[in-house]
Amino acid sequence: MLSIIKSMSLQGLEGYLVDVQVDVAAGMPNWGVVGLPDISVKEAKERVRTAIKNSGYEFPSRRIVINLAPADTRKEGSFYDLPIAIGILIDFGEIRKQSMTETVVIGELSLDGHINHVNGILPMCIEAKKLGIKKVILPKKDAEEAAIVDGLQVIGVESLQQVVAYLNQKEDIESTKTNIKNLFYQKQKYPLDFAEVKGQENIKRALEIAAARFA
Amino acid sequence: MCSCSGVPGSGKTMLARRIPSILPDLTFEEALEITKIHSVAGILSKQLPILTTRPFRAPHHTVTKSSLVGGGTVPKPGEISLAHFGVLYLDELTEFKKETLEVLRGPLEDRTITISRINATLTYPCNFMFVASMNPCPCGYYGSIEKECTCTPETIKKYMGKISGPLLDRIDMQIEVAPVKYQKLEQKQIAETSEKIKQRVDKARNIQLKRYEGQKIYSNSELTPKLIEIYCELDKSSQKIMKEAFQKLNFSARAYHRILKVARTIADLEEKEKIEVAHIAEAIQYRNLDRKYWK
Repeated sequence: MLSIIKSMSLQGLEGYLVDVQVDVAAGMPNWGVVGLPDISVKEAKERVRTAIKNSGYEFPSRRIVINLAPADTRKEGSFYDLPIAIGILIDFGEIRKQSMTETVVIGELSLDGHINHVNGILPMCIEAKKLGIKKVILPKKDAEEAAIVDGLQVIGVESLQQVVAYLNQKEDIESTKTNIKNLFYQKQKYPLDFAEVKGQENIKRALEIAAARFA
Repeated sequence: MCSCSGVPGSGKTMLARRIPSILPDLTFEEALEITKIHSVAGILSKQLPILTTRPFRAPHHTVTKSSLVGGGTVPKPGEISLAHFGVLYLDELTEFKKETLEVLRGPLEDRTITISRINATLTYPCNFMFVASMNPCPCGYYGSIEKECTCTPETIKKYMGKISGPLLDRIDMQIEVAPVKYQKLEQKQIAETSEKIKQRVDKARNIQLKRYEGQKIYSNSELTPKLIEIYCELDKSSQKIMKEAFQKLNFSARAYHRILKVARTIADLEEKEKIEVAHIAEAIQYRNLDRKYWK
């Protein structure tokens, strides 16, 4: 059975969409990741398998193939742990099958099923919004950062079990919201002040000139 | 771009750390751009999801080329990109490896850095204010009135030789930091606040924005030689000073243009329309190192 979960990746400061395609079939137990994964992506196998087991779900021996599309760009990072785990759990029947074409899933798994912080959430979410994505499921620690992007439903999750319960509609998670502009304009004061430096007026003068011509 | 040289303990680092407090406030769009860079680098603070003040980056002098400008199999942003819209401060400039400093030359002019690796070619923005500090010589007291310098001319030459001419030429303002006198330290009166300095800076920048409307530039530092002719006109007496200084101090053509740009900024701070003698004299004075080391 095949399931496709949308996730994001980074190319410099720009995010781009990655389809995590998970296929679980009968046959020789095997697990392969294709789509130019680097070491941190290949290691996802071990994290995902252990996290699923330690979260209390069965992990039957099956033949699993994962493709990260587009398959011609190199993938790096641990963003794909959570989408891979969700794809597998859908195929195993732990999560009910549903349309996830407008949802992006990002997150790193720890062995006990907790979901860890990942880097680059803001550029990924900005791009997701541009591509018409409505909802992102990501680590709770990164939810505030994602909420900077206006008009995205941000679902911060802490553990694999919580994600499963959420997708099976057994638990409701309120989407994270921040009034980022308010926060931004409140905290613009720089903590250090030239009043603390005694003397050195000529240097302060020179720095003032330098500041006045900074582009 | 500016550099401070001064005896040990004269407060170079303390002053540099306070520069962001007099720079204009970030706009929300600028904040988003630098937050993206810090997010990708994984150094965003967990308390606040967005950067609200201009960054101040001060990498140690053991920094490698690739952590300064960015690198890795899939290149990550380096210190110069993390300092985007803020300040990059290199303390003890002469202690940095020469080839590390040389890689700064391109980004200082272009304000972007393109890094090519097998897996990806990426461009990161790096529009930063470059500030550096150093001791005037290995013992730290060359040119000091209080203490005698124990270095030989050769060691001083070798010491300064670590900074290449082209890099030094790109530094517009070179300032000497004198030690603080005891009486000043004892004084209870509070020095001018950053808030007040910033008000003047904002005013000067608004003057520039208004003047360069329709010219595709925003500040004096972006003036091209052609625009310098239009906006940095000198009167007779200013021309005379400039001519004398140019001949006596052996300025390069680049230094000449930089002095005019600094003089223009000083005039803007004083809200004067024309550059006056005092402005040009002050600007010349900021080419300190040229005078001291390259006579």
